[in-house]
Amino acid sequence: MTHLDHLYRIAYNLAKAPDDAQDLVQETYARALGAYEQFAPGTHLKAWLTRILYNFFVDRHHQGKRWVSVEDSTAQKNEESDPWEKMATENPGPDSHVLRQELSVQITGALGRLPEEFRAPIVLVDMGDFSYVEAAEVLSCPVGTVRSRLFRGRRLLHGYLKEYVGTKEPA
Amino acid sequence: MLCKEVEELVTALSDNELAGPERIVVERHLADCPDCRSLYQQQVALKQVIRRAAAEMKAPLELREKILNDRRVFPPRVVTGPEPRPWASVFTRPALALALLVLVLLPVIYLMRPQSPSLALAAIETHDKITRGEVTVIRGDSPEAIKEILVRSVAGEFAPMGYDLSMMNLKPVAGTVQTFDGRRVLVALYQGDGGSLTCYTLVGTERDAPPRAQAFFDADKNMTFYSYSVGRTNAVLHREGGLICILVSAMPMPDLLALARSKAAPSHS
Ligand SMILES: [Zn+2]
Repeated sequence: MTHLDHLYRIAYNLAKAPDDAQDLVQETYARALGAYEQFAPGTHLKAWLTRILYNFFVDRHHQGKRWVSVEDSTAQKNEESDPWEKMATENPGPDSHVLRQELSVQITGALGRLPEEFRAPIVLVDMGDFSYVEAAEVLSCPVGTVRSRLFRGRRLLHGYLKEYVGTKEPA
Repeated sequence: MLCKEVEELVTALSDNELAGPERIVVERHLADCPDCRSLYQQQVALKQVIRRAAAEMKAPLELREKILNDRRVFPPRVVTGPEPRPWASVFTRPALALALLVLVLLPVIYLMRPQSPSLALAAIETHDKITRGEVTVIRGDSPEAIKEILVRSVAGEFAPMGYDLSMMNLKPVAGTVQTFDGRRVLVALYQGDGGSLTCYTLVGTERDAPPRAQAFFDADKNMTFYSYSVGRTNAVLHREGGLICILVSAMPMPDLLALARSKAAPSHS
């Protein structure tokens, strides 16, 4: 596994469009060399590159707006009123009649249905193998936020992917 | 402790991100609570599925080429002289430049080996596997049903090329989605008295044609068709707008080429 594959994976699942993903990665390499002064030997190269990538993604897709506080506004309410939960039940499962596809196609599709604030931590921690602390650094948010978004995001994701995750639902 | 209070910690435990008192609390709860144990197992299983999917995703060769050709990343030469130039200074930081260079170059060298798999050739291989029953395909009740499944599997980004091949006694019976180098390819299988044919649709350019393919220019349609074979299996590739279509079949090349030409729709008409 190379950092290029890693970056592409992250970009692909953040951006949802293959062309955007390629642009993100190419730009990341260009920016990394442009910002070489900020790179101290010994720095975790993978995390550093990922952070450049994520910042570029945010700049491009949100004109600098980060972390729309979905969670902060809904965290206090109970489950039933959670708009993301509602969305999950209203939308049917991902192509449940498709017997077999490349697993990655399924996962990318399911991740793509998650709101970005839940998608990004899952992409970083589960696909990128980052620790919570590293993910929080990339995302510029508190570690606790990474943890709660992972929990909520995975709960949604599990709903989309039930048939691929062969364990029974908790009551 | 209530399950609700533990759930988030269970997630953290599945990531091995829990230590100290929190870990003890959760482990104690798990020992007594089958529901939360099941949640824990579910989290671990989900994580494994995502990791497996991640391992399938590789940066496309096209992207490696783009980075290698990006002058901002790899300048044509290092300028040295009395005036320090930006690129000269980059290479005074050999750690990063070298790391990036190695990381990008190694996979390219690997992929440039003669046996490098190309998407066009993979289509032929897939056709052979499908006809041997080695690839699971989704059977559809109707051509529309197959098309719908395929379109949904790429989130509506593009649709498979649909051809009416009933004149050849071939009708669409099944579909599948394959990924080559991170690119999704919609595959439709046609079968009938005329044998079997697979049709591949993907986002691409004519550079996806194998270098040694024979190019045939159709002046009427202002389109180029690329034909190539592996063993007894023949393929014809052409572009319609931003999509590439590859027809693969054991039927004789002239027939397959004629079929592709008769069905292809020119991009500008
Ligand atoms: Zn419990």
